[in-house]
Amino acid sequence: MTAFRSTPFDRRQLLKAAALTPFAGLALSGCAAKPAESAAANKTVTVTSYGGSYNDQLTQTILDPFSKKTGIQTTLLANTSLAALKAQVQSGDVQWDLVEITAPEYEVAVAEGLLEKFDYDIISDKGLPGYAKAEYGIKYLSFLFVMAWDQKVISDAQAPKDWAQFFDQGKYNTKRSVYNQLSDSSVLEAALLADGVPFDQIYPLDVDRALRVLGQHPGKDRLLYHAANQEPIQQLTSGEVSLSTSFNNRINAARHDGAKLNFSAENAVLAGDYFVVPKGAKNKEAAFKLMNFMSNDAEAGAAFDKVTNLTLANTPALSKLPKEIADTLPTSPRLADKILVRDDKWWSQNLKKTEQQFKLWQAS
Amino acid sequence: MSNATLERPRPRGRSAPGSAEAAPRRRRSGWWLLLAPILAFDVVLFLTPLGKLVGASFADNAYQRVLEDPLVVRALVNTLTISLASTIVTVVLGYIIAMVLWRAGTVTRVILFAVVLLPFWTGILVKNFAWAVLLQDNGIVNAFLQGIGLTGAPIPLLHNRFAVIVGMVHCLLPYAVFPIFSSLTSIDDRLGLAARSLGAREGSVFRRITLPLSMPGISAAGLLVFIISTGFFITPVVMGGPGDMMIANQIDYYARQLTDFSGAAALAVILTVMVSILVAVYQRVLKAGGQHEDN
Repeated sequence: MTAFRSTPFDRRQLLKAAALTPFAGLALSGCAAKPAESAAANKTVTVTSYGGSYNDQLTQTILDPFSKKTGIQTTLLANTSLAALKAQVQSGDVQWDLVEITAPEYEVAVAEGLLEKFDYDIISDKGLPGYAKAEYGIKYLSFLFVMAWDQKVISDAQAPKDWAQFFDQGKYNTKRSVYNQLSDSSVLEAALLADGVPFDQIYPLDVDRALRVLGQHPGKDRLLYHAANQEPIQQLTSGEVSLSTSFNNRINAARHDGAKLNFSAENAVLAGDYFVVPKGAKNKEAAFKLMNFMSNDAEAGAAFDKVTNLTLANTPALSKLPKEIADTLPTSPRLADKILVRDDKWWSQNLKKTEQQFKLWQAS
Repeated sequence: MSNATLERPRPRGRSAPGSAEAAPRRRRSGWWLLLAPILAFDVVLFLTPLGKLVGASFADNAYQRVLEDPLVVRALVNTLTISLASTIVTVVLGYIIAMVLWRAGTVTRVILFAVVLLPFWTGILVKNFAWAVLLQDNGIVNAFLQGIGLTGAPIPLLHNRFAVIVGMVHCLLPYAVFPIFSSLTSIDDRLGLAARSLGAREGSVFRRITLPLSMPGISAAGLLVFIISTGFFITPVVMGGPGDMMIANQIDYYARQLTDFSGAAALAVILTVMVSILVAVYQRVLKAGGQHEDN
């Protein structure tokens, strides 16, 4: 014991100091964080999207060329959600700079005041198609909600031609996997199309009728739900189901990786996602620069359209695409009369109510 | 209590107060500083967010709103019924395993312990997805049942209540085995011997001695398992259908899909209060069990 007395600290003092260290750390972290951040502002941009194959494609065709051109480093995360965006804005600690959300979510986020106004001095709107430009974001992406099948079980010749066949339990004895939420999937529209409602009479959506149809064909116990975009690929390739709803780019990516899947663009539903900047984002200018690049750089845009089979809101890119690829894009005029265009306005007003009704129907 | 007469001999001096070990102590000032790290940790990372959560739950009439939501009512009912079913199955299975452990030789006991502990150390996602692979329509179980001609077509084993309970029981078993095992090992072997010497059969030894004396272990295990059950989130998602969602899933739905944070907070507070009451009961049961042994 006495040996300790000769050292500058005695044991008890040392223990006290050790015990108080966490407080010191807390105090320091509070003051050190701010200056470090502002020095590095707009040298990086944190982007969030849905993950899986799509994130790889986005990095390869847009983010990497953008970094090379501007020196701004990008980080792409896979866990985008309006809830996380809202939590960040409300807590005042915004980690994300550019966030992908669905079209109905965009309206919700605008109404709740969660977004920064887009600066069209930094973003040139020359490359933007008319539908894409908005006050608090850009509807940067158009995709198709499609019916997909497992070619090992259902050959392309036997594949469903429309949603009535897709849901017909007599024709295909398999479970159907459908997305468990409605914010960017169109399963209710699909049900009404199956019931014979023409494209131009789908909206305003008759939700009761859609659910009644789904309850009869294929029936509640023949529906399986997926909660993420990559999940139907796994369910189809593992043989758990032979039919699923999905998005055209996901099936294309899986085919590219050797999966025996296919989809039909006919009777698909055209929908879109926005990129937005959360209120108080730390690298807002860098985010706008990225949006400018994304909307106007013809090379990057064409590479994106080619790899994903999705339409980027970037008109100059279209002229760089070979015709056979341009024809397969969701916005191709060739498809215009064969697909349903999702009514963002109806959804933005009815999303929560309908989502609740859908959940209740699933659970009952 | 009648059990008092059957007290085992105890080592002397354990409870003798004022013996040699209570020598005059140095006054230790500042001992509370040793608690400072955990206090800082708790206040900053646990109590503050919890306080904020409770605060948020009182905004926008959240309690009334969530309790009027039929999905919430259903989730609450699901939580209670699924937890109760899982608890009963877990405790019965756990009791059987604990009995075998109790009666087994050293080698068997070590092996069995490893078997019980292995799922304890495996991530819940891994366990649940493994079950999902086994139970799906084209999984091993259905293939086997069709192979031996017991069923003609795949029977639904996944995405229903049954699957949720299977997945939960697998995760919960260790929590039942250990309390029951420890209450079994504290039973005096001589009681059984005495009973048998008086002509009791195995069945009545179990019914009249082993079972009553292991009751504290059973109730402790039951409560512990029930408490853990009420917070399950991932198992209903991976193995359940839309009708099997529990309260944690409803919190997630409110926070993520509806972005209704005050509603999610209210649900979280409801769950916390429910579980806190159970924890209080659990500690009483533990204490009662402890006194029972000490008598």
